[in-house]
Amino acid sequence: MEKSSSENAIPPAAAPLKLFGSWASSYTHRVQLALRLKGLEFDYVEEDLGNKSAELLRHNPVHKKVPVLVHGGRALPESDIILQYLDDAWPETRQLLPADAFDRALARFWCHFADDKLGPAVGAVFASTGEDQGAAVRQVHDNLALLEAELRDGAFRGRRFFGGDEVGLLDIVLGCGSYWLAVFEDVTGVRLVDADAFPRFHAWLRDFEALDEVRETIPAVDRLLEYARGLRHMLLGLAGAAAAPSSDAGPTAAAAPAAAAADIAVDI
Amino acid sequence: MEGVVVLLNCFVSPFGNRVRIALKFKGVAYEEKAENLAAKSPLLLSSNPVHAKVPVLIVDGKPVCESLVILEFIDDGFSAAGAPPLLPADPYARAHARFWASYVDTKLNEAGMRVWRSPKGATAAVEAARKDTVAALKTLEAELGGKPYFGGDALGYVDVALVPFAPWFLTYERFGGFTVAAECPALAAWADRCVRENTCVAESLPEAEHVFQFVCGMRKAFGLD
Repeated sequence: MEKSSSENAIPPAAAPLKLFGSWASSYTHRVQLALRLKGLEFDYVEEDLGNKSAELLRHNPVHKKVPVLVHGGRALPESDIILQYLDDAWPETRQLLPADAFDRALARFWCHFADDKLGPAVGAVFASTGEDQGAAVRQVHDNLALLEAELRDGAFRGRRFFGGDEVGLLDIVLGCGSYWLAVFEDVTGVRLVDADAFPRFHAWLRDFEALDEVRETIPAVDRLLEYARGLRHMLLGLAGAAAAPSSDAGPTAAAAPAAAAADIAVDI
Repeated sequence: MEGVVVLLNCFVSPFGNRVRIALKFKGVAYEEKAENLAAKSPLLLSSNPVHAKVPVLIVDGKPVCESLVILEFIDDGFSAAGAPPLLPADPYARAHARFWASYVDTKLNEAGMRVWRSPKGATAAVEAARKDTVAALKTLEAELGGKPYFGGDALGYVDVALVPFAPWFLTYERFGGFTVAAECPALAAWADRCVRENTCVAESLPEAEHVFQFVCGMRKAFGLD
């Protein structure tokens, strides 16, 4: 983050909001959705991730990624940090995190799970074929089973959304990533969310995607499909090159597809 | 918040020791159970079924997992006379603190692990890990700037997130072939200051040599030597 020039000068809540993002980045969608849920107006700047703007790099010198939210001249990078900032800076708006300390800890824990476990597993399915893909699919199913269990008789039992009657932080984090599941299923031909195996997760996702603010935020499915098809083609092309005999290419080339796949789900 | 507080920890774990510091900082009475990570207790496995990792904080029987989640929980749930919050009140300053705590996990810890975890003879890997670790330390040192603490005049969230890695510096140094004092003198001074000026830190951190011995034991167990 940029060094703040004055620790005590708080930008007024009314100061303008500017979001730097990328149309296919689920991390960008999280912030757009959160802003819409809170009824906060913002300007949006689409970044070309192959040619990042000087302004973006100035606002996020450490990681150089989207999304970055600029509020009254102050830059906030990283979607989970931005979402909590929105709660803190606009306490009068609907809060994304619950009030109770234990519930907050649970929401945060499962957000990390989504980012550290589920997201990369889904990315791995997308970047692989054959046996490797089979193993990745099992990972995704194991992860979804954990969430299903929490919805069935764990921390979130009986709830329509993870946040309760209304969506909260965890819904936003899980939801803005879960639409990729259907897209990847279509492109790879692999079943990821079986309504019979994961009935509650399936129902939750359907209810999430039906919300007006979500429909406003998630790109049209044909754009996502086109993007995903192109990406898969490239990833498998890279993997094919890695399979060709070459003493130097090995680990680096094999790592490239996985890293590229991770880019879909991470701040890029 | 009321109830019995139990911390599941391993004495060398920088993540677990963050929680030790925070609990002591807040003056919260707690019981610590030492976990043998090669033979995890039923309590650990039932409290953290998803990851089976330390630390876990159990308050009145309810578990909270993941060190930074626990720190926020402690800040949210416990207030003691004379113990200020770990996170600042200003929303931007809070975001700033969260950013740098997360940086410690994603950049410093990740690189540091590669320094001591690489198999014997993997010189290229260790060299790359050393460069990344030093780069992360320098970035953190730049963020500290001329302040006595990351939190300003006193220990705060980022200090608590980072200082438990100080006992690991010796291990990074011996496996990586560098010294923190030479590369990042201000950061080395900050680590000393944290221990010297804060009992909660001094009482929470293991000896650097003990960490090194522990890591050497782990390397043998995993056949890295």
